[in-house]
Amino acid sequence: MALRDQLRILVVDDMSTSRGLITQALETIGIRNITTASDGQGALKSIKASPVHIVVSDYNMPGMDGLALLHALRQGPKTKGVGFLLITGRADRAIIEHGRKLGMNNYLKKPFEAADLKSAIEAMVGRL
Amino acid sequence: MSDAMQEIRASFFVECEELLESLQDGLQAMQDGATDTETVNIVFRAVHSIKGGAGAFGLDQLVMFAHSFETVMDELRAGRITADDNLLALFFQCGDLLLDLVRAARDDTELSEDQLAPVLKQLGEAVDLEPEDEEVDPAEFTPMALSLDLPGLDDMADLAEVGPPATPRYHIRFSPQHDLYTSGNEPLFLLRALRDFGQAQITCVVGDVPLIDKYDQAQNLLTWNIELESDVGEDMIREVFDFVDGLCKLSIEPMPQTGTDVLAPTLPDLDPPSAEDALPPLDTAPVDPAEPDPPAPEAETTEPAPPSKPASATTESGKSGGNSTAPKPTVRVDLERIDRLVNLVGELVINQSMLSQSVALSGLSGNSQIAAGLDEFQQLTRDIQDSVMMIRAQPVKSLFQRMARIVRESASDVGKTVRLRTEGESTEIDKTVIERLADPLTHMIRNAVDHGLESTEKRLEAGKPAEGRVNLTASHRSGRVVIEVSDDGGGINRPKVKSIAEEKGLIPPDQTMSDSDIDNLLFMPGFSTASEISNLSGRGVGMDVVKNAISSLGGRITIVSDPGKGTTFSISLPLTLAVLDGMVVRVGTETLVVPLSAISETLSLRAGDSRTLGPNTQVVPVRDSFVPLIDLGTELGYIAPRESYEGAIVLLISQENGDRAAMVVDAIEDQRQVVIKGLQDSYGHVPGVAAATILGDGQIALILDPIDLLTNASGRSRTETAPSAEPETAEVHP
Repeated sequence: MALRDQLRILVVDDMSTSRGLITQALETIGIRNITTASDGQGALKSIKASPVHIVVSDYNMPGMDGLALLHALRQGPKTKGVGFLLITGRADRAIIEHGRKLGMNNYLKKPFEAADLKSAIEAMVGRL
Repeated sequence: MSDAMQEIRASFFVECEELLESLQDGLQAMQDGATDTETVNIVFRAVHSIKGGAGAFGLDQLVMFAHSFETVMDELRAGRITADDNLLALFFQCGDLLLDLVRAARDDTELSEDQLAPVLKQLGEAVDLEPEDEEVDPAEFTPMALSLDLPGLDDMADLAEVGPPATPRYHIRFSPQHDLYTSGNEPLFLLRALRDFGQAQITCVVGDVPLIDKYDQAQNLLTWNIELESDVGEDMIREVFDFVDGLCKLSIEPMPQTGTDVLAPTLPDLDPPSAEDALPPLDTAPVDPAEPDPPAPEAETTEPAPPSKPASATTESGKSGGNSTAPKPTVRVDLERIDRLVNLVGELVINQSMLSQSVALSGLSGNSQIAAGLDEFQQLTRDIQDSVMMIRAQPVKSLFQRMARIVRESASDVGKTVRLRTEGESTEIDKTVIERLADPLTHMIRNAVDHGLESTEKRLEAGKPAEGRVNLTASHRSGRVVIEVSDDGGGINRPKVKSIAEEKGLIPPDQTMSDSDIDNLLFMPGFSTASEISNLSGRGVGMDVVKNAISSLGGRITIVSDPGKGTTFSISLPLTLAVLDGMVVRVGTETLVVPLSAISETLSLRAGDSRTLGPNTQVVPVRDSFVPLIDLGTELGYIAPRESYEGAIVLLISQENGDRAAMVVDAIEDQRQVVIKGLQDSYGHVPGVAAATILGDGQIALILDPIDLLTNASGRSRTETAPSAEPETAEVHP
């Protein structure tokens, strides 16, 4: 069984368009197990109900932003090891540095193609 | 583009409109003095999200503009610039342009460079320097391999064992008071209803019941303890007890979860990382259900029920997220499907009334099973109808936001400073009405800015603030929606209006007219106020067009003007264009429907009630005042005026401005909901007639517009006083 068949990914974005786009791209690269959440709190709840390997989250979200979600994930004994890919409109140094400190696995700048998403994930888990 | 992508693209544009709406809200809040970071963030996020989505679809112009806008917003967010009036005005302009760009992109076009250039230039000037792109070179970041790579997948099995979260459990203590029994309630039914929600363990506390010789039947002695395992939520459980509210002591407490909760991430309060990252402060509540209080101890007998909601309920709502209220889940549905549903419901209503009628004619007794079933059917039909109509209803907010833009644009065109204040934005009204209201309202708003408000100099002379005010409000009033446009300008210049109307031959010279008659001249076709046609309102549309547009929606428009203080236009509209509550009346051989909303009461005249006033006007006393009498049959040309009005049945019609009239009909047949079938397309506007409907027996009946009818009737009797011998035959409608 290929890795892409087993990998479970949670997509977090407040904009339904972006959720759709990321999901679409993930499906294009063969990921089958995709769940979505529209905010950080929803993501934490969702991951509790159905655990995942990787969280793909937008940075800019109301309430809890992507890095705050990352921070929260790293605090949970069972979620601290989850892979985290940050999707961001701007790869500002401050954001990326902060993400690195919190244990962000990788980031991807918008706009991106399915192939970009694939390499970003492969950089974390190896060949899909 | 694949179908899936097409769909996402379409939803992107819908989402953009929502984002632009929150952007407008944010800017409005900033203009009203909000300076908090969250407000600025809302605006920033909206622009940023639009840019992000636009990038994915290669909408370059939109991306480019959003980027410039976002850059300035970011400077503001970082506190490097401040939002003064000029900057806010620029932001509003940017918001408008962003909307135009989104719509253009949706239609696969772009805006011309000329439209963007001036704003882009201003945006460039608003920030000192194009900030150095502080972006990280991708090479600088080394992705971190996932430590759980394959072992992580093995873990999956463990994780899966955790299973779904345990079903919530509640401890319910229900202690009926004596009144509950005497008011005909049965606790057993309530307990059964609870049992339907899930696993319930019910115990009755009988310890307080004395021996039979001490038994007082007026005393409440029984209490039930229920342990319920169910995921219906506390609100649903509470609803079971709605009918016995106040008749019992009730407490509902969530119980601690027994299920494993190992996965729950513990979320300590997060320190905001560092100031320059501008992360909004987090006030995140823990995700796992709050630690509930232990169940109430069993032994205590009279423990007062907690106030309306126990503490756990507040945590429930607080849980859903920091400072943003979680939006209600929604479904997007093709409008065509809804309209199909509306039509079908219309048919259902007609069908139901036909059925009722044939059952009535069949001579079945009123308490037969069929009649009872039919009553229920009627009630259900009405409920379905209301629910369906509610789907079509939308808040007027989007319309009002468009008007905000009209105010900004027209104010800058005529060089006035104007502030728009809106109220009642959440008032809901039929979608079609909202759409068809846009043009007339735009015209009225332009008029208010252009003609209603005086020039800045004149305002200052009159001791008013330089900034003019235009208010736009919406509210529900007795089954209709009332939208008002008011200004604090100079009011209607009545002598001028009158002389213009005389010049144009709309009224005979030197006619005595009341103030309100003069004001209403504005609505006459051929009347155009602008002595010099300005760029704004002189677009070939007069207030008569506005009035027609409003009446084609089943609405009415009225003016109130106070010299020196301002003018208010009120539009009153039906909630829906599909059905109305009507009174079915007979006049001569015709069956007609009068909208119930226009009727304030019905009476039957006694001998000597009607009195003659002037050549052919009759009045009847209604309590303390006299009300003009209108014979509907004569007015419509169905029958000749009658000799005496003794015993006649009249409908007392009330107008928005308080004027009343007594309308004589032959008989009142029924009061029912009728489905409106428009006549406009086939017959154009017929004075006095609003639409038609199909009655229960399949007969077609006209739905009258009584206000229109009365306005025309009274207008004619004044201007072309008919000879008394042959009174109103001249007034038959063409």
